[in-house]
Amino acid sequence: MSSDTQTGGSLESVADGYNDRFGHLFGELNGPQFALLIGSLVVLLAAPVWTSLLGAGGLLRTLALASIWAILAMAWDIQSGYTGYISFGHAVLSGGAAYTTAMLVAHVNPDLPFLVTAPISVFAALVIGLVIAIPSLRLRGPYFSLVTFVAGLIFYQLTYAFSGYTGGELGQRVGRIEFELAGAQVTTFDPVTRYYVMLVPMLVIAVALLYVARSNVGMILIAIRENEEAVAAAGIDTTKFKIWSFVLSSIPMGVGGVLLAHFYGSVNPLNFLLVDRSIEIIAMAVVGGMSSILGPIGGAFLVIVLREEVLGVFGVTGRWVALWTVVLLVLVFARDGLFRKLWHILGDRGRADGGDDE
Amino acid sequence: MLGAIGSFLVTGAMISAIYALIAIGFTMIFGVGGVLNLAHGGLIMLGAYGFLVVTSSSTVEFLAIPPIAGLAVAIAVGAVASYGLYVGLVEYIEDNPVITFLATLVVALILAELAIVAFSSSPRGLVNLAPGSSGQSVGLRVTNLEIVAFVTSWVAIGLLWYYVTRTDDGRSILATSMSQRGAQLTGVDLPSVKAKTWLIAGALAGLAGVFIGTLQQTSPTMWLDPLALAFIIVVIGGIGSIKGSIVAAYLIGYLETLTVTLLGSGFRGTFSLVVLVIVLLVMPQGLFGREWVHE
Repeated sequence: MSSDTQTGGSLESVADGYNDRFGHLFGELNGPQFALLIGSLVVLLAAPVWTSLLGAGGLLRTLALASIWAILAMAWDIQSGYTGYISFGHAVLSGGAAYTTAMLVAHVNPDLPFLVTAPISVFAALVIGLVIAIPSLRLRGPYFSLVTFVAGLIFYQLTYAFSGYTGGELGQRVGRIEFELAGAQVTTFDPVTRYYVMLVPMLVIAVALLYVARSNVGMILIAIRENEEAVAAAGIDTTKFKIWSFVLSSIPMGVGGVLLAHFYGSVNPLNFLLVDRSIEIIAMAVVGGMSSILGPIGGAFLVIVLREEVLGVFGVTGRWVALWTVVLLVLVFARDGLFRKLWHILGDRGRADGGDDE
Repeated sequence: MLGAIGSFLVTGAMISAIYALIAIGFTMIFGVGGVLNLAHGGLIMLGAYGFLVVTSSSTVEFLAIPPIAGLAVAIAVGAVASYGLYVGLVEYIEDNPVITFLATLVVALILAELAIVAFSSSPRGLVNLAPGSSGQSVGLRVTNLEIVAFVTSWVAIGLLWYYVTRTDDGRSILATSMSQRGAQLTGVDLPSVKAKTWLIAGALAGLAGVFIGTLQQTSPTMWLDPLALAFIIVVIGGIGSIKGSIVAAYLIGYLETLTVTLLGSGFRGTFSLVVLVIVLLVMPQGLFGREWVHE
């Protein structure tokens, strides 16, 4: 026996311990899959340490940004990836939350604390989500996508039409996050704190969405994607569940929007509401692997790191050409997503008691 | 007053004719292949930039052919790009509507970024095909270019109608749009029919690109509005129906003209979007469409 199988064996026992306790909640894992998850988690949590050792301070900013986009990509996934109703207008939800924060700060009271503006903004995303979902979810196939696309265009136009409130093209200042937690002052002026303020919500949302996805609700959403008539015939109100999936999606979208607004310190239509932003969210989810929750996280980190750190060699505009080309290639040659592929390779390697969850 | 109404009727007709050009290609591709080509706006943009390159010496110094020949180049650029898009990409992925949706949209984004690389992001002016205006004597204000666009649009629609209903080659397209299976059983070569549809749609898009590029603007963001318009018109007319697209194009064209006349140009598109949402909710199959069948 080589040492390889021994480490594999001890990994299996740790993974089994996890499976016994949490497997029924979040899905079963095998050794290598468990190692990948824990490894990624350690790398993410320790990012301030290794980026400063590498002398790559800018990378921490990129990872913080990637955490926010991971929230958005996961949120899109629980709605579009799971139900198969592809939304082209999700940036409206995050943008709506971001703009709510901005308008509260600009027009109500500039000193409103984050702990007041954030919940209101997330609630705004939820309301916008319902406004879009309730009429559009009666439609099927491409029609649903068309309406969400149109919703994106309408909101984009509205920011210009009501530029007195929204600041029009220039947008509006939001400022950084500052609040007290257990007596300690938390401020995102500090890069390390900022990173954790973005990372922790991402991890919490990931766990919550994984739980939902493995629950009966998640099963019904997948069933709707596979065969909606059959689900309806079983006496389940599919519209209700589709609206639920939109609500489930709106809340993290709102959280992501608020974080993004504070990350940039300002909001504007270009960074928040342009059609490209919705497509970016979709691209991340698809590159990682739709309907898997964890896939979109990987997709978001891959896309943001490529965009911010790697593809810059092609120039300011060239990096977008390169990025969209990469996305196109993944769409054509790896439809199920890169991280899902990796996941299944690991699953096949460490198949001891079958950690397969697809 | 009479002059104002006349101006409204004429301006509306001119813009609607261009909208019809935009929408017909988009709807044909859906009718025949069941594919929503979200790169359609990108093809329109290619037409406009193709025209810019060959007619104005500002990009290639020694190249400045007459605008009429430039129009032919724009049509060719649109047609070739569209054909290439089909045989190079869409053909391999069209079995999966979601992937096709996303891939064609990503193609549009790539084209827009490439346009920024090649021509910068600031808008460019196109050489006017038919400078000047006419109609002042009867109290109307119409540019000659609008008249050319109107006439060209109807000539193109007429030719298309003749091709699709009077020639065997064209009838195979019509047959495929009615029933793919039936067409196949009668010996229609499906891949070649689809490729032909993309070629025609691209040609119409290239043609429309020149008019939009001259009347509105030629810029790397110009793909989005025509795409949104194509959506709106095609959904209102009924996805897949050419007749519906023409009717809806005039409906939307006049609605926008009315909006601009009464409220100003800031609200140009807003009402069309609202009408679209209402139509989708009340009659999702559109004016002349069939219910979209998920296969």
